[in-house]
Amino acid sequence: MNTRFSAIFRKEFRHIVRDPRSLMIVILMPILMIFIYGHAIKFDIKNITLGINDQNKTSASRELIEKFERSGYFIISAHPKNSDEVEQLFQKRKIKAAITIPYDFSETIKNEFRSKVQVLIDGSDSNTATVIMNYISIIMAHLSEEINYQFIRSPISVEPRVWYNPDLESVNFIIPGLVAIILMMICALMTSITIAREKETGTLEQILVSPIRSFEIIFGKVLPYVLIAFIDGALIVLAAKILFGIPIAGSLIQLTILSIIYLYASLSIGVFISTRVKTQQVAMMGALLATILPSLILSGFIFPIRSMPLLLRIISNIVPAKYYLDIIRGIILKGIGFTYLWHNTLFLFILGTILLLISVARFKTKLD
Amino acid sequence: MQPILFLIRKEFIQVFRDKPMLFIIFVMPILQLLLLGSAVSTDIKNITTVICDLDRTPSSRELMRRFQHSKYFDLEYIESDRKNITRYLDQGKATIAIVIPTKFEKDLLRHQIPTVQILVDGQDSNSSLIAMGYANRIVQSFSLEKLQYNLIKNPGVIRQIHLVEPETRIWYNPNLEAKNYMIPGIIVILLTVITSLLTALGLVREKEIGTLEQLMVTPLKSYQLMIGKTVPFAILGMFEISFAIGIAKLWYQIPIRGNLSIFFGFAFIFMFTTLGVGIFISTISKTQQQALFLTWFFLVFSILMSGFMFPIDNMPQIMQYLTYINPVRYFLTIVRELFLKGSGLSYLWHQVLIMTIFSFMVITFSAIRFQKRVS
Repeated sequence: MNTRFSAIFRKEFRHIVRDPRSLMIVILMPILMIFIYGHAIKFDIKNITLGINDQNKTSASRELIEKFERSGYFIISAHPKNSDEVEQLFQKRKIKAAITIPYDFSETIKNEFRSKVQVLIDGSDSNTATVIMNYISIIMAHLSEEINYQFIRSPISVEPRVWYNPDLESVNFIIPGLVAIILMMICALMTSITIAREKETGTLEQILVSPIRSFEIIFGKVLPYVLIAFIDGALIVLAAKILFGIPIAGSLIQLTILSIIYLYASLSIGVFISTRVKTQQVAMMGALLATILPSLILSGFIFPIRSMPLLLRIISNIVPAKYYLDIIRGIILKGIGFTYLWHNTLFLFILGTILLLISVARFKTKLD
Repeated sequence: MQPILFLIRKEFIQVFRDKPMLFIIFVMPILQLLLLGSAVSTDIKNITTVICDLDRTPSSRELMRRFQHSKYFDLEYIESDRKNITRYLDQGKATIAIVIPTKFEKDLLRHQIPTVQILVDGQDSNSSLIAMGYANRIVQSFSLEKLQYNLIKNPGVIRQIHLVEPETRIWYNPNLEAKNYMIPGIIVILLTVITSLLTALGLVREKEIGTLEQLMVTPLKSYQLMIGKTVPFAILGMFEISFAIGIAKLWYQIPIRGNLSIFFGFAFIFMFTTLGVGIFISTISKTQQQALFLTWFFLVFSILMSGFMFPIDNMPQIMQYLTYINPVRYFLTIVRELFLKGSGLSYLWHQVLIMTIFSFMVITFSAIRFQKRVS
């Protein structure tokens, strides 16, 4: 068994090495992705283009305008005179919000309980619009507080503290997630293609004529990819550390071991897919559908699972990336260990084993 | 002309004969649309909360009730020991912890300003900020009510208070639904992926299996081959987005305020770019695996830098400059503006022009390269 298995292993390795382009992409792309993702993704919203229509033009209105200028979040880039002009500016994407200070602002602010300032927001990007709305409310609340300092002092003070990621760096959140996605992608994609390719080009028949047993074929073909994925994963984490200085709060050894179990589960999915399909195209698409898509969307990578409808929340429970995401974020950001993560690990291990067993059992060593 | 038609027919026959492929071409994008469309929600809800009430007075219980009744928070745990609070965050059992101090009520009555602590799991910086904002708002509105209660006791004071408040109106998306923003984006992505991936794979497949050689022995000219192999996917792409728009309108009720025929015109121009990319990739790949990876490479970056999920305005300047050579960026803007604002050519001509130039350049370049390769 040893020589047969190692023969397949070495053959697969030669195939991989002989295709430097794929290898390069597999190794280079994740690093590039981390680089770009890490720099491009910022959830904090700044430089909001604002249009101001000051119909009052007194020191009172100027005080309000100054508050917006000094907030650091807004850039006053237009002075629309009416709502038609606002519409035009929205259509040309020149401003994201417009404020109209009514002509009697300085009077109402001295005599009335409430002075209303009209705010129009471009709601097409709902996320940004929500944030803009909040910023504007906060700025006006500050102004109210300042005006009425003697009377309005909040009876309750709030002390907010942020754990694990005190600077709320988006990078710390994205990078672990990225590692999970990339590992899954490499494993599932590459392994699903490998067996399908032999089927498609006809070389599988040649292997089947030899006395090799199905599990030897499967394991022999899969193991090189385990190594590649592992090296890739290590490179990614290293790149993340070097490029972004992400501190690893927990144990690197635990991270390594638990990552290997995740690789194991991802690979088994790839193998499972490849044993059921006849062509590479279908293998690729199947791998995409069954692994990458759910991993991206349902794992909690970007979109919080808790905000999803019930059906999707249920489905997310069989997405391996979800469990691994808890693991990698837990170890890197929270510094927790196996004691809290054991049930995640168990799931991944069981999933991987079941799929592999099924694959080996169903892999037909007869000619079709 | 005839040979091209034959090729198109052959391609369609092959596509429809391959059942799994059919599934992937027709079912998967729809699944994607439904999945992504439902999952995408940047609205934060059901935040698991743990509250540590060290005071246990009517006032503290009132504050706790506010969190209980809030649709944003899921008050799942009530803890009595301050020291255990962090464990909930560590284990991931709760995302946010509120600590109401002892003497909360007493301090309130004596105007001594008690401090409520809010601890938030900062891993997801976006959600954390929003969660903290909601929690803050709940405490503040509770606080404001106490204040107003005090004020009512001194009516003279109210006359001296002047508040500035915003009267907000949201245009184009009054309920601030994320799906109105995301789903047009998803449609763009569908078109991009289908046309580029299938074209690249389709061309390389013939190379890999060996049937390309057979085609080359025929009197087919290379441009006929190219057209014959890309037109089917163009047609499929158009069909896909029509279907996707149908779902968007009927299932998700996304507003489509602009002119749909103009939209299809723009989509047609855009497709030239993606088809061109598919052709180009087929000329630099020897195997389907390579083609897949290369197309994947192209897709990941073009989608990332298109403004689909992460607003371009938030990116650092250098990244923003890079997006100017990303054709998907322009089409995405066109689709979003067309759908939500009903923008027409007058506001979008800039995008359309650049897209047209891109398409022309890419397809010409790829075609020439393909010609050279096959000859």
